[in-house]
Amino acid sequence: MPRAPVTVLGLALLVLASAPAAGEENPFRLKPGAAGKVCLDCHTDFAQKLKRRFVHTPVASGDCAGCHSPHASAHGKLLSAPARSICLTCHEGVVPARAVSAHRVAVEGNCVACHDPHASDHKANLRRAGNDLCTGCHKAVGDAVARVKFKHRPVSDGCLGCHDPHGSEGAPRLLKRAVPALCVQCHKPDSPGFARQHADYPVARANCTSCHDAHGSGTPGILFDTVHAPVAGRRCGQCHNPATAAEPFATRRPGFELCRGCHGAMVNDALSRSRLHWPLADRTGCLNCHQAHASRQKKLLDVPEAALCGRCHRDTAERQARLAALEKEERAAASKSRGEKGALTHQPVQEGSCSTCHQPHASDNTFLMRQASPVEGCGSCHDWLKHNSHPMGEKVVDTRNRNRSVDCLSCHRSHGTGYRYLITFPAPTELCVQCHKQLRR
Amino acid sequence: MGRALPLLLILAAAVPPGGAALAAGGGKLRFVTAVYLDDRGGGMRQPEGLACDDRGTLVVGDAGGGRLLRYTVEEAGVKPAGELRAREVTAPIRVQLTSRGDTLVLDGRERRVARFDARGEFKGFLRPEGVPDPATIVPRSVKVDRSDRVYLLDVFSARVLVLDAEGRYQRHVPFPRDRGFFSDLAVDARGTIYLLDSLRAALHAAGQQAREFSPLAKDLRAHLSFPTALAVDGRGVLYVVDQNGGGIVLVGQDGTVLGRQLATGWNEGLLYYPSQACVNERGQVFIADRGNSRVQVFAVTR
Repeated sequence: MPRAPVTVLGLALLVLASAPAAGEENPFRLKPGAAGKVCLDCHTDFAQKLKRRFVHTPVASGDCAGCHSPHASAHGKLLSAPARSICLTCHEGVVPARAVSAHRVAVEGNCVACHDPHASDHKANLRRAGNDLCTGCHKAVGDAVARVKFKHRPVSDGCLGCHDPHGSEGAPRLLKRAVPALCVQCHKPDSPGFARQHADYPVARANCTSCHDAHGSGTPGILFDTVHAPVAGRRCGQCHNPATAAEPFATRRPGFELCRGCHGAMVNDALSRSRLHWPLADRTGCLNCHQAHASRQKKLLDVPEAALCGRCHRDTAERQARLAALEKEERAAASKSRGEKGALTHQPVQEGSCSTCHQPHASDNTFLMRQASPVEGCGSCHDWLKHNSHPMGEKVVDTRNRNRSVDCLSCHRSHGTGYRYLITFPAPTELCVQCHKQLRR
Repeated sequence: MGRALPLLLILAAAVPPGGAALAAGGGKLRFVTAVYLDDRGGGMRQPEGLACDDRGTLVVGDAGGGRLLRYTVEEAGVKPAGELRAREVTAPIRVQLTSRGDTLVLDGRERRVARFDARGEFKGFLRPEGVPDPATIVPRSVKVDRSDRVYLLDVFSARVLVLDAEGRYQRHVPFPRDRGFFSDLAVDARGTIYLLDSLRAALHAAGQQAREFSPLAKDLRAHLSFPTALAVDGRGVLYVVDQNGGGIVLVGQDGTVLGRQLATGWNEGLLYYPSQACVNERGQVFIADRGNSRVQVFAVTR
């Protein structure tokens, strides 16, 4: 008899200890067989969806409560955790912890951008099949791939042949492996044909994408559309050591001295100017801005001009981007009413054509301007300046400073100020009275 | 009293170097005067370089005029003291003064350093001797220390070359690997070399015996737009010239920003695309205010 209460107490404790575990499996204490079915009683539209080929495991097992909290939730769609992190509760480590590159949507937890959380007709619950899914966002790549004459077969086979959609531990741009290791999985560098095409240089150790556009191009051999003449002629030895040398890829001379061999007139002209674009003369030289082998851009520029200049002149590029965004906002707001006159941004900068006003290599004028006189420089586009404007030119002295003559930059800043017409004060009157002091009130 | 002295010593030791610099160098720049004219009443045109010393000499690289202008700095003001011209020097973009009164000028067209003696006579170009390979030198800037050693910012070979007063090679310090583009350097009284990375708005430093540069201030972009020139005063406070932002940012020896001074504009006391600064022991700061075609003089006040 004295043993009975102890046994009862022990059993009670056992039941209590096991209760939370049972609660986790069925936290809402649904009746047997009610899981999923209860939800579908109301969410009837899901019945059709569940007929799709690929159904998310919790959905297939009727575990709607695996992701949703049926009564109340602090998160949208009654999710039981924030939308940005709920997938990670099961799919932890999708983005490698030490990823060299990672897909932004995956990092941000926006998994539903690519995956349908309930069901899909495509493997891995993808919203669309094959490359269509990727080109939905990467439209420029999709358009280019569709347009190119010479195609790279793996691209049409699927982006995932080369890219990992979540993140890559070992390579940039979500590549499964770094170039050239990725390329030599298919291309055999030991084959005689391959060696002949590459002038016998051991390119299996080189960067294939310095010449080839992996997404295809309009040039045979899927070389980028602008090809440096020695590359096109397979005259690698013009710039590099011979293919048989110990360091075959080393260049024959450093920096601009190498380029000067062929582009002597241009380099000599630049070096004879009083103001040099200094990166031209550093160790990297011309390759600060140009690609040595091939490029998508004209003149072998590394990237489009605006982005190229903006890489170093960040303050100017950022200011222009800020002003452009402001201008866009204002234009949208003004669509119903009459907008304010006067631009905040300078068109050539917006069009990515810094070289409209500046010489990219060297000049005899400050800030590498093409024209010594701002009046001449601005006048090459704004030609009305020459016949209908405020008095300007060398002979018109700026009353604020006798060493300065009046020119366009006396009142405007060509990279923008945040004020209309790129003037340097919020209101025109405020600007004018800087010189015309007698009119100041 | 017996306990106060150790306490003071402990407190003094606890103050970081930046704190000391802040106390010593966190002053303001007060406008003193502006210089517009040469000795014949002609105007400057876009001066890019300048140098000053403790004896009251100021030399301006009048780049737009293709000449150098000499001035004497007195209590009463800055007086023109003649012009230095040479056919070989047409674009003086950086200027330095030696203890002997010689003027060293980096010419933007030649990309070589020209020497004028104290009388203003052109003495030819500095010819570095005994420099290790690579032989090509492209100096972006030049500085001279108190012992007249010449420091060349050699952007082609990515190094700072240290030469003696005659141009003989002394040593070199390679640029740090992780860099944007170096536009200027400065050398303080202790021989520490400072490098200014314009693209990353960063500073690097190398002590007198150091073989490499270490980061000093990693990213000053919150304080400036596009720095292009650097000067250092006798206390080791760095003056970073913000070309596009029209200002001067003061940085302590530990890389702490001590403050930003001046702003963009045309009126006296404001800067429009400044290009070089010089600080002397008298606490005078000279700035080549290129966009305004003048030199401005400021006093450091605390």
